[in-house]
Amino acid sequence: MIDEKREKFIIPIGPQHPALKEPGHFEFTVDGEIVTAASVRLGYAHRGIEKATESRNWTQNMYLLERICGICSHIHALAYCLGVEKLAGVSAPPRAQAIRVIVAELERIHSHLMWLGVAAHEAGFDTLFMYSWRDREALMDVLESLTGNRVNYSANLIGGVKFDISTDQRDTILRALETLEERSKHYLSIVTSDMVFLRRTRGIGTTSAAQAEKIGLVGPTARASGVARDVRVDAPYAAYVDFPVKLVLHTVGDLESRFVVRINELFESYRLIREILDHMPEGEITARIPRRIKEGETISRVEAPRGELFYFIKSNGSDMPERIKVRTPTMCNMASVPVLGIGQQLADIPMILAGIDPCFSCNDRTTVIHQGEDGDVWTWERLRQHGIDFYRGQP
Amino acid sequence: MRMGAMFTDVIRALFQRPATRQYPFERTASPDRLRGKLNWDAEKCTGCSLCVKDCPAQALEVFMVDKANKRVVLRYHLDRCTYCAQCVVSCRQSALTMAHDEWELADTDKKLFTITCGDDADVQRLADLAPKGVNEQT
Ligand code: SF4
Ligand code: SF4
Repeated sequence: MIDEKREKFIIPIGPQHPALKEPGHFEFTVDGEIVTAASVRLGYAHRGIEKATESRNWTQNMYLLERICGICSHIHALAYCLGVEKLAGVSAPPRAQAIRVIVAELERIHSHLMWLGVAAHEAGFDTLFMYSWRDREALMDVLESLTGNRVNYSANLIGGVKFDISTDQRDTILRALETLEERSKHYLSIVTSDMVFLRRTRGIGTTSAAQAEKIGLVGPTARASGVARDVRVDAPYAAYVDFPVKLVLHTVGDLESRFVVRINELFESYRLIREILDHMPEGEITARIPRRIKEGETISRVEAPRGELFYFIKSNGSDMPERIKVRTPTMCNMASVPVLGIGQQLADIPMILAGIDPCFSCNDRTTVIHQGEDGDVWTWERLRQHGIDFYRGQP
Repeated sequence: MRMGAMFTDVIRALFQRPATRQYPFERTASPDRLRGKLNWDAEKCTGCSLCVKDCPAQALEVFMVDKANKRVVLRYHLDRCTYCAQCVVSCRQSALTMAHDEWELADTDKKLFTITCGDDADVQRLADLAPKGVNEQT
């Protein structure tokens, strides 16, 4: 006879659409409605992007790395460019750095608004989802008119940026910010006052500062627990040196604080963009950079919308990198899901997951598609041989 | 605490124009900086291939069909292009530009995505030079 007491009930969620439209696999052991154990399995969107960088030149890699994530594409390129510039001993002109930061902050606004919608959707509050995404559209239009692309803006160059900001564009940005600021105030009041919504967020998934430190949370997720951690403040880069940002903190650590922190960060971004636009440094927007980068290795840290983004770059003096390692914020924050999930209602899990603003593509990185006509399936043996030949061919 | 905090938004929206547009019946002008189809000026191009080296998507091929007279043919793979504008920046002769109004580039025929640009005679010369089996589109 089966010992009923020892039987566990495990609910597998994913890899398709585990609450979000991205691949990840979760297993929750439940006792009734309460989660008693949880595990995460990632890697479904692994695309071998770090390896692929080793066979492309420095310029091409910027575009490849930009495609690690569609939401925060600019910040990836920025981290990479800053690192490569450091290696080459060149720094982009101040005006270029200011433009980089403006695009980075616009990206943060679009990312946070998008998250607001997604998180509201997970809570079943689709009205907020629809309206916040409608408002976000104004920002996408700004990004499009500024950079020429809506998603992978490709604004950076190694050594600068591709475009300048004209007076007309400055006005367009300011106009959009004005509407968005109004709307953000409205959203802040909604997420802190709507009774039904608060029942999904207040007191759910509470993370103490000590716990956040222990798990190693980063970005707004950590700041919602009162951990003062922001690369823009701790180790300012690009134009953040001249235009400091204020740290946005909240101390409660539940889902509601994550909403509050992210929306308050929007206000800080609006302020910062306005300040930079008012005090734009004059001058060039590009610096000359050699095709071959001096031998050496470096790290580059930036604050992505989801938290600290870390790049390790190693050059052997050729026109291609020897090694690039990327650590994305979702990787750090994901660890909180199995920890915080325990003891919660199963129905709250999607919200806890959405609360860290997860980005699975960031986690997993890219693949290369062969562009020839000959679509064929490789046997394991052939793949192995290809690997051996590939490395034999290396110097 | 209140109930239905977004109720007023919903009511107000009833009397507003829809936020969505009825594309393709209703179009908005594309911004001047929009990165659309790549245009190439054969007269300016020197055939240096810098654009080819820097293109992250291998969307460009440059053929020097007549070295003495500097006759160049450029093949552009529209379907591979990621519209990053790196080639535009890389080209020292300003031979490449991106058209902001040509962005509706989808098609059902894949062959149309390979565009060979250049003088008719040069393109013909390239076709003659090309090894057998290579399909040339002009
Ligand atoms: S826009 Fe970018 S992807 Fe397209 S051809 Fe130019 S360099 Fe290549
Ligand atoms: S970089 Fe410019 S000049 Fe050189 S081959 Fe390309 S288009 Fe021609």
